[in-house]
Amino acid sequence: MERDIEQLNSALNSVKILRSNVRRVFESVSNGLRADHGDDGKENKFILELQELLTTVNNNLRDVENSVSNLTPPSGPFSLGNTTYLSQETTQERQALYGQLVNSYKWTDKIREYSAVAGNILAANSFNKTYKTFSTTKRRKTQTSNHNVPPEVIENLITSIDRLFTDVTITTNRPFVPNPVIQASLGRVLKAIIAFKGLMIEWVIVKAHAESNDLWSESRYKVFRKVTENCHAAMCHFHSPMMPELAVRSFMVVYCYIFFVFLKMYKK
Amino acid sequence: MGVTILTQFPTENRTGPQTIDVLSKRIMALGAIQQGQFLVDCETYTSVQQLGPQRTVHVLHNSEQPATVFSLLETGTKTIPLATDGLFDLLMMKMSSFYTSKKQTKAESKGPRYEIGDFCVKLGTVTVSSNFKGILVEVEYRPCVVPAMCWDLLKEFLQGFLGLSGPTNPPAYLQNRMQEIYSPIDTIHQYLEHFTLFRKSPVEANVN
Amino acid sequence: MSTPGTAMDSLSAALKCNIIPNQEYLLQGSVLDQYVEVLLHRLRGLCDNVDSGPESFHDHELCFTLRAANTGAPMVLPLRVRRALDVNDAPFQLRYVGQQELGDKNRPTVVRSSIDMACSSTIVEFLTELGCRLDFEYIARGYMFRKGRMKITVSKIFKMGGNKPGEGVEPISQSYLVELSVLAPSGQDAIGEDMRVFAEQLRPLVQLEKIDYKRLGNMM
Repeated sequence: MERDIEQLNSALNSVKILRSNVRRVFESVSNGLRADHGDDGKENKFILELQELLTTVNNNLRDVENSVSNLTPPSGPFSLGNTTYLSQETTQERQALYGQLVNSYKWTDKIREYSAVAGNILAANSFNKTYKTFSTTKRRKTQTSNHNVPPEVIENLITSIDRLFTDVTITTNRPFVPNPVIQASLGRVLKAIIAFKGLMIEWVIVKAHAESNDLWSESRYKVFRKVTENCHAAMCHFHSPMMPELAVRSFMVVYCYIFFVFLKMYKK
Repeated sequence: MGVTILTQFPTENRTGPQTIDVLSKRIMALGAIQQGQFLVDCETYTSVQQLGPQRTVHVLHNSEQPATVFSLLETGTKTIPLATDGLFDLLMMKMSSFYTSKKQTKAESKGPRYEIGDFCVKLGTVTVSSNFKGILVEVEYRPCVVPAMCWDLLKEFLQGFLGLSGPTNPPAYLQNRMQEIYSPIDTIHQYLEHFTLFRKSPVEANVN
Repeated sequence: MSTPGTAMDSLSAALKCNIIPNQEYLLQGSVLDQYVEVLLHRLRGLCDNVDSGPESFHDHELCFTLRAANTGAPMVLPLRVRRALDVNDAPFQLRYVGQQELGDKNRPTVVRSSIDMACSSTIVEFLTELGCRLDFEYIARGYMFRKGRMKITVSKIFKMGGNKPGEGVEPISQSYLVELSVLAPSGQDAIGEDMRVFAEQLRPLVQLEKIDYKRLGNMM
């Protein structure tokens, strides 16, 4: 398998070289006599140059033939499942589907790879400072995916949080439908921008009331960078894949708590 | 842009440069880093007689907002603020036959500018037409935009490095605007209040 | 560390270097309502902002004058305030437009001094209290095009009907006002030639010309 890919690669490479050299031949022919051919015997020089280029092309062609003969043809037809029919699709807008399909395969592969690595690391280092155990019955009940939940569930969670904390004003926007970004403002002092991934909190950043809602840039002010750090700690601490709703709720409680401490600090 | 408190610091027996020196040593000891210089200036124009009842236009510049010209128009009954581009100065020149400036009233406050955490501190030497008048200390707490929310914090900070000379109450101008969102024109109002007071005060003996 | 110079110092330095755009080069004309589409189509082809399409605007302009009854010649200072009705948080625009110089016959455009600046929304109250009188106001609605430094506006002028802008407006005529203008530092007369060439390309749809307001005043 490994050897096959290597040979395929070298074959593709030699095709590339051949194409590039053929291009040079045509370029030279289209340019005709140039100034750097000098004055005397310029025709001869041009013919010599052309001959040289053609020899290179010949050599390249031989290389291509060699590498092609080294390839082992696949034993039977590929089994592509239903995707084979995609090639028979004639409508213009559906032809792009094949590319997207290949991309999604690539991404699934990457995700599998990363999650294996992440799984190893997380197994060795636990974020949780408290020790939690779950009974097996509970685990079986909540063993659903947290990443891919219907939007209504997240919607309900957000509305319930909004109702739970009266001091917090929540505005939501959804750049990607299942993953809302909410903005939880407290008074006219600070706001937290919280990005969800399904039911889990993916990213939190705390900023001053007057700052932009950009999720990726830090606050300009030290005090809010510190609060952001605390929020990150809280996010990691309460992270629990088994009970994501509880995690979000606990996080919000801590966020409000941080805020009140903060106000206390302001108003002696 | 955060909430700014402007307060006068008594010179007592010291000269202007000595006072600035004392204050800058204190703020440096707290861990502040000097970040350049600042300048706030104010020119006052009064309307000519033919224009009817007298009105005054104060034109102020603040190096913190270098592309903006702030104007405050006093009609006697009310004050109207205006923020414009730098070209407003050019327009004031065009208006010279309606509004004239008295050269003796040009006031400015300039000096070093420090940053310490989220605070910004400016130690200004005030001169009115080149005569030394006193010291103005400006402290800005940048993360917060509502004065009421951070007044206590600012008071504590100010008293921390000005000692007993620190203010005990918010500036008069801010007192009925404590719940509103603070903006750069509010700083300008505070400067004008102080400049007006300085203009009325007699020239101090220790000219630097 | 150097002390920052005063704002007046930097302004006089800018004046000395002649980098402040305080001259307006202007050509004006008009086109009847039924031909405006043709003109817009042609402008779309000629101007820079081809792909984004023309920029529309909807402005309210108030014209003030500051005057004092002087013993000698009366002193008059015209000031204009323009604000966008279609963009809520746009700053107001304050503008001083000086006397126009027609110059000699060979000069291709009208030249007048102009100081243009953005300002806060308190400007109307500020000017009123300053002693300015509101002479007239109108609403302009139309399209703006760019070609290099040149600005081309095609706008319909409306009379102010009710007390609030936007209610009971009434068009002033059956045609659109077409203006071709450039704001530049003084002495850049070469731009006038560019404008003449561009105006040539819009003929015969619209005749962009130097309009002499004094003569217009006499005709009425």
